[in-house]
Amino acid sequence: MMKLATSAFALTAVLTSTAPAFADKSDDTLRVALAEEILSLDYLYTTKREYIILAQMTDATLFEVNPETAEYMPSVASGFTWIDETTLEVTLRDDVMFHDGTLLTADDVVYTYNWIVSEDSESSAKGAIERWLDTAEKTGPNTVQFNLTTVYPLVLRDMAQRVMLRKDGAYSVDGVINQDSMANSLIGAGPYMVESFEPGQELVLQRFENYFDVASPIENVVVRNLPDIGTQQAELMSGGIDWMFKVPLDLAQSLGATQMAEHLSGPDMRVGFLVLDAAGYTDPDGPLTNVMVRQAINHALNTAEMAQFLIGGSSEAIHTPCHPVQFGCTTDIAQYPYDPDQAKALLAEAGYPDGFPLELWAYRDKEVSEAIAADLTAVGIEVDLRYVKLASLNQARANREIPAYFGTWGSGGTADTAAIARVHFSDTSDRNLSGDAELTAAVLAAESTNDRAARAAHYDTALNIIADQAYWAPLFTYSANYLVSPDLNFPLSPDGLPRLDQASWN
Amino acid sequence: MLRYIFQRALLAVAVAFSVSLATFFLLNIATDPAYAIAGEDAEMEVVEQIRETYGLNRPVVVRYFDWLGGVVQGDFGESYYWKKPVAELVVERAPTTIKLALSALFVTIIVAIPLGAWAALNPNSWTDRFALGVAVSAQAVPNFWLGLIMIIVFAVTFPIFPVSGDSTWQHFVLPAFVLGASSVPAVMRLTRTGLIEVMESDYIRTARSKGYRGTALLTRHAMRNALLPVVSVLAVQLGQKFGGSVITESIFAINGLGRLALESILGSDIPTVQMLIFVFAIIFVAMNLLADILNAALDPRIRIT
Amino acid sequence: MSSVETPDMAEDLPRAPRQIMLDRAKKHGGFLIGATILLSLILIAIFAPLIAPMDPNAQSLSSRMLPPVWTEGGTWDHLLGTDGNGRDYLSRLIFGARISILIGLGAATIGLFIGVTLGVCAGYFGGWVDHAVSFLLTAQLALPGLLLAMALVFIIGPSVLVVICIIGVLHWTYYLVVTRAATQRIRSLDFVAAAQSAGSTPRQVIWHEIIPNLIPQIIVIFTFELGIAILAEASLSFLGVGIQPPTASWGLMIAEGKQAMFYRPWLVILPGLCLFLTVIGANLLGDGLRDITSPEGRN
Repeated sequence: MMKLATSAFALTAVLTSTAPAFADKSDDTLRVALAEEILSLDYLYTTKREYIILAQMTDATLFEVNPETAEYMPSVASGFTWIDETTLEVTLRDDVMFHDGTLLTADDVVYTYNWIVSEDSESSAKGAIERWLDTAEKTGPNTVQFNLTTVYPLVLRDMAQRVMLRKDGAYSVDGVINQDSMANSLIGAGPYMVESFEPGQELVLQRFENYFDVASPIENVVVRNLPDIGTQQAELMSGGIDWMFKVPLDLAQSLGATQMAEHLSGPDMRVGFLVLDAAGYTDPDGPLTNVMVRQAINHALNTAEMAQFLIGGSSEAIHTPCHPVQFGCTTDIAQYPYDPDQAKALLAEAGYPDGFPLELWAYRDKEVSEAIAADLTAVGIEVDLRYVKLASLNQARANREIPAYFGTWGSGGTADTAAIARVHFSDTSDRNLSGDAELTAAVLAAESTNDRAARAAHYDTALNIIADQAYWAPLFTYSANYLVSPDLNFPLSPDGLPRLDQASWN
Repeated sequence: MLRYIFQRALLAVAVAFSVSLATFFLLNIATDPAYAIAGEDAEMEVVEQIRETYGLNRPVVVRYFDWLGGVVQGDFGESYYWKKPVAELVVERAPTTIKLALSALFVTIIVAIPLGAWAALNPNSWTDRFALGVAVSAQAVPNFWLGLIMIIVFAVTFPIFPVSGDSTWQHFVLPAFVLGASSVPAVMRLTRTGLIEVMESDYIRTARSKGYRGTALLTRHAMRNALLPVVSVLAVQLGQKFGGSVITESIFAINGLGRLALESILGSDIPTVQMLIFVFAIIFVAMNLLADILNAALDPRIRIT
Repeated sequence: MSSVETPDMAEDLPRAPRQIMLDRAKKHGGFLIGATILLSLILIAIFAPLIAPMDPNAQSLSSRMLPPVWTEGGTWDHLLGTDGNGRDYLSRLIFGARISILIGLGAATIGLFIGVTLGVCAGYFGGWVDHAVSFLLTAQLALPGLLLAMALVFIIGPSVLVVICIIGVLHWTYYLVVTRAATQRIRSLDFVAAAQSAGSTPRQVIWHEIIPNLIPQIIVIFTFELGIAILAEASLSFLGVGIQPPTASWGLMIAEGKQAMFYRPWLVILPGLCLFLTVIGANLLGDGLRDITSPEGRN
């Protein structure tokens, strides 16, 4: 019955779909579906994850990460030297061309970096970059010197991930500052150039023949905004699109079992965890301020089953507040295996033999949130689940109204604990509910030196504190689920970032 | 008559503005759009910056009068999410919803009126019971569930229509049916009752004695009178279709005003929500006004006023 | 007295109004069906813990998404299968009845108090009171319910009580319109004039003369509003601003099932059927009551 339905479904989709159902291999066009509406092409003015997927195709950066080794290799740069701990000299290639045909020079690099940290830019990258960059100056036709305000081990990472290179003067149009100048008509230096862009509807990219690095196999890429999963599915089955991501596990498995599509499941740097109000911001004498209660919560959660049945793919249960492949994320710390009886015993010892009421906030993965709530309820903790939009959760957390929440962090795909530690444990972040000054000190110290051994030692200290004090209840790593056309060869990256510029046909 | 219309029009505008005031305050109490604009994985500095850029740190009252001032000049502000004028967004998507609303009205008319007439001509028979059964069922079915069932049956199991989207006329068939179904009970009952009343009236008896029978009797004399109240009810129902399109458009992934309203509310896109509510309120009150006028104009008995 | 009573004479004896209604009730098919459905539902809601085979919130991740017993892959342990968290679907449907009945009754009652009060005042006092209420009515109809629901849920926090209040506050217009018209009609009748000239205050007149005559109509509206409130809760829960998980609400179950709908349609079909039957029951009951209590019998 289901098979009949599926093939009939496909037939219908073919007959009624209005997108021309080319065999995409034959016209060398990769059609991609994104649920999130793309409203701007300028990555310097957005924080949404989807935009990095596009930026990777249209833009170029000084450095690029090698996903296999997690090292940062020169890209637009040809080499670099640390003159001292706060001065970095970068030499540039001389064959990098922008999409409009002009050559990229040191002037462009200097302009881009100084623009971002300037008062007028209001760039989304400003907060991250001005933390370490003072100024950039041109020291030769192809050399740039970066003057840092402080020692910062992730400079290359920020350069590779955040700073898309722009032409000198890109944001001053006819003498007037215009921050939206790159939003619709982008001039980048990446492997693909923009052929047409309809915000919220469709983006058409064409391979840039003068790209300085290895050319991408596929000539054309069409990115279609299809907010509805049902529509995406119908399009995939009729050949209207070749690639879907963030596919719910059940759908991916069901469709992947047919001939219409292939289910790819790859690793993702994203991790899931519970953050507990150990500092007592919501209740100074509350149960969460007691370490035994927090340990009990850790014991109560059957994270292995959640990983296996709800996330699937390469998802695994973890006990670290970071992804195990991240630099500094040592797994040699206290563990709290799934043991509901132990949880109940700890609760009783802490003075809560009958449990206590707990408001748990969550914004995604509804089934996981409910599973967490059910596991906690099973050991006596009466969970009141507040499943809200992310914006509401962020707001409530900023107002110190959340005693416990289920959070996730993708670390931007960066294989370094710094990408998750500072934002969650620094003393200026509202995500830090530990109230632990020693922890904060260790985390910040790990970012004030370039010495890998010293950094690892600091993170070792920090992670042990977090685990011993059970500030968090780490859950599992995520797995990225894709549905692709059988004609497409889409390589999966270990850091979970979809690299469409490396896709090819079978 | 003219004075009456003028009064009602004034009332319409008053209602629209009080509704907009109420919703503006509710929206701003309920959410802080800075977080919604910033998106996932955004840090505190970005949020603060957004708050400043959009002037969200000013008192609510100030922001309301700011908005009002703009509206009077025809400027409804810019959408936080789409980064373009809200008026433009609305104008872009309005045709789709209008298409849907009119199609739904069409469905209501071709289903409810013949059914009601048929039932009226055979009162207390099985056809009458069937018609009433349809009315009761249509009233009881949750519209979002009906939409999903339609998709399961007519787009997946028996693939006749597309699952979602709004590019061709086939895409509008199922949504129009779902949206139109909610009005069928009221219109059908009204038609039936109206026709029964008319059929028993002196006017019809006179016609009968003059020799008119069957369909001629029905169409030339009975229907015209019976349909007078129905016309005004249809106008009101059309007005309600705009507000009622929210769920239908979301289920069928139709890019109209209803879907825009839902996403804007869930995403705290206050300027867009403001304008949409204002527009919906105006449409609703305008349709009521139209209904009143139609009533007065078509029904000779009321004309005296 | 002769013991011979001819049948004709017996039928000509006048019957008490209550007897008339009872007789009509017994013969009215719709009323009987509706009453049966609602009564069964209320019983199911009350005795849910005894009837349901399992705890509706008991999850078992390894048995998630099991199909109903009559489909390939189903088991007798879970007659209607399981949902995404491995919870027994049949049990959740049964407990869902609780939510629907509770919220339906609660919201319809709140709407009753608001609507009848406004309607009677508008109908009795007329003048500016009537105009004010009229304005309120139009504004209320033009205000989108979803928005109000979202705002209030956010401020107060989602709970069954909040949902009941929100729906109640949004659904009083039907009561208003009918009681206003009825009050205007009754106010002009003789017995009201008599009471007024005898010196009764407006409050006494309303309470003793007008309202008692409205009760049958109010009851009819109540049953219709019951159905409307149940559907309203389902819509709110479907959109995510009503009943919160893990509580079993039919509307929420449909929302949860929507994602897997293409391959597991029963997740959507079953809760919807429950809603459908419930509301049909309420509407049939309402229609039936209207027929029974009206002076002329079936409309």
